[in-house]
Amino acid sequence: MNIIGRRKIWYAISILMIVPGMISLILNGLKLGIDFNSGQLSVVQGTVAESVVKTAANGLGFKDIQVVPSGNQTQIRFQDPSSQEKHEANHQKFKAALANKNIEELSFDSVGPTVSSAIARNAVLSLLLVSLAIVLYIAYAFRNAPPPVSPWSFGFMAIAALLHDAFFVLGVFSILGYFFGVEIDALFVTAILTVIGFSVHDTIVVFDRIRENLRREKGDFETIVNHSILETLARSINTSMTVILTLLALFLFGGQSIRMFVLALLIGVASGTYSSIFNATPLLVTWHNYRLKRMAKLKASPKR
Amino acid sequence: MTVLLALPREDTILRALGVPKDHAKLSVKQGLDLQGGAQLVFQADQKTLNKLNTSQKQAALESLVNVITKRANFGGTSEVVVQRQGSDKVSVSLPGVKDVNEAIERIGKTANLQFFEVNSQTNEPIDTGLSGKDVESATADYDVQKNQPDVRLKLKAGESTKKFGELTTKLSKNGNYLLTMLDGQPTFGPAQTEPILDGTAILTGNLDVESAKKIADEITAGALPVPITLVEQRSVGPTLGKESVQASIVAGAIGLGVVALFMLFYYRLAGLLAVLALIVYTTITLTLYKLSFFLPGYTIVLTLAGIAGFILSIGMAVDANILIFERLKEELRAGKSFVAAVEAAFDRAWSSIRDSNVSTLITCAILFMTSSATPIIRGFAVTLGLGVLVSMFTAVVITRTLLRLTIRQGWGRKLSWYGLKSTEEVK
Repeated sequence: MNIIGRRKIWYAISILMIVPGMISLILNGLKLGIDFNSGQLSVVQGTVAESVVKTAANGLGFKDIQVVPSGNQTQIRFQDPSSQEKHEANHQKFKAALANKNIEELSFDSVGPTVSSAIARNAVLSLLLVSLAIVLYIAYAFRNAPPPVSPWSFGFMAIAALLHDAFFVLGVFSILGYFFGVEIDALFVTAILTVIGFSVHDTIVVFDRIRENLRREKGDFETIVNHSILETLARSINTSMTVILTLLALFLFGGQSIRMFVLALLIGVASGTYSSIFNATPLLVTWHNYRLKRMAKLKASPKR
Repeated sequence: MTVLLALPREDTILRALGVPKDHAKLSVKQGLDLQGGAQLVFQADQKTLNKLNTSQKQAALESLVNVITKRANFGGTSEVVVQRQGSDKVSVSLPGVKDVNEAIERIGKTANLQFFEVNSQTNEPIDTGLSGKDVESATADYDVQKNQPDVRLKLKAGESTKKFGELTTKLSKNGNYLLTMLDGQPTFGPAQTEPILDGTAILTGNLDVESAKKIADEITAGALPVPITLVEQRSVGPTLGKESVQASIVAGAIGLGVVALFMLFYYRLAGLLAVLALIVYTTITLTLYKLSFFLPGYTIVLTLAGIAGFILSIGMAVDANILIFERLKEELRAGKSFVAAVEAAFDRAWSSIRDSNVSTLITCAILFMTSSATPIIRGFAVTLGLGVLVSMFTAVVITRTLLRLTIRQGWGRKLSWYGLKSTEEVK
């Protein structure tokens, strides 16, 4: 099987997977939940009509009321513009009005602006820190990588793969946000970070084999890389299968409130497996060939 | 099968580690999203805090935690946890609380110390209008003559001292009693009093040294005007919590079962060993969750996200085994003897296992460090990180021991039992 030789097909598939999400990200962005935007979120049992919610909220001055069905629950989001001391009293009235219509509230979250800005700050900080730490770590772990590839190429190709996975998940959630009102919360950031960790985890296993084979074998770089992928293919697929199976169990049977979190992980892990086999490793070859060509050009050009 | 039966149960392990019998039956502590309840986060007023120096600020926040703990515990709700969060916030966990609004009002109240005049005939208390706001500070002290601890109040100079002087003078004349209530509970008195004109009152009651200090701290904190605002609230009803626990158990069991089946199907005998290692892994991890109870401040509280981290780590735990077994197959195909192949497989797979797990651990460490304000993320980071660490041990050490034992037996050296095809066996 020649995976490396067909790399243009794999790149095209990746681009096709990512582009719709990127377009949606640019046009619609992500739908930020109360963790980032502050506000109130009440989750009630069953499917509840918007008109029922609006009647219950009558006179309480809630703004920006949104009613979003989610499985066998309904999420009611709103902004209570009154002072923070009155939030809970208002919420109690709202809850009682719903209870009058036999609607049971399952959970209620209220996040103030100081808290949401701290969560957003931490999210950005942790994304930056994780990415930086991972480039440095891979460059360090592959510091003894034999030529022709430099340790930094390994690091940057792994980053290219993880960006692929992160943007794929972000894109899917941007689309889900646009069509189904799915919001992202603090846990979503955790999912992205975990996907990044997993993606690198997967990539490292393939790179590790390339490094080992480069030391032991002589021959064409492309050929060595290709059979390194094939040697680790069973492992890559089997590992992803076990992780995907556990996540699928969580998605289908686990708690409703983390369903979207698990979905983000599920999409990310699948993408991570694809990218380490079909992106990160072929990219090493593309990059290597590009450098060879450039060097040949330099040699061929007449000296000035 | 005997190996399975001989596997020690968690409480046996705990007791072997010296944990007392009644603690050995510890259960994993559940977060609010699982047991139901409310999490409230209060922020101390910035303007007030900015006026204080660092040590005063620390003291003020510490007393704030004390006061809030007492107020939150007032209704007798079990296991209230009050913690500092960041530099200016206090988080309150109220498991199983029914009336969140009442709890918020109770915690947010500013008046906590009140002085009452109690009629000596009718025992009827009358509010004197004096309160914690009139108190400058309180200290715990010891009356050497009476051989008992007491609390000494210093009233604010001026109006407060004058009013208190007038009150005590009146009481000493009409024979009524002075009652001091703290957070709505009679704490000192009712007792007779002499006229106190210098604004220093000695309060005696049924106290030991510790409680005197605690009360003094609380009175001081109460008198200290650090207004708080509720900035975050997350409450989960009991129905959802119960459903979540059941759903998580089902998901965990199915996840574990499917992974076990997959491993057995694909790697046969080696897969069985991996499943045994996985059972050991689950046991050790759950035991660690329980043992964390003995590390105050580091107790692992299992939330829904934490369970996700744990279940995800099951999937990752077998990754090390898959790496090793794939290597084992390769080495066997290359014609190595079983002993040599097993050693080579572990040897060669180790750098992959180590390097790949470190990247997940880095992610967990960074998540842990940046998540002081979001307990739900911290829970996930802790369970996933712990899972990765434990799984590196079980997947490598335990599986290797089991494999070495197995290949010593004649029946353990059959290629088809390691997922190799029979055509390869001929080779």
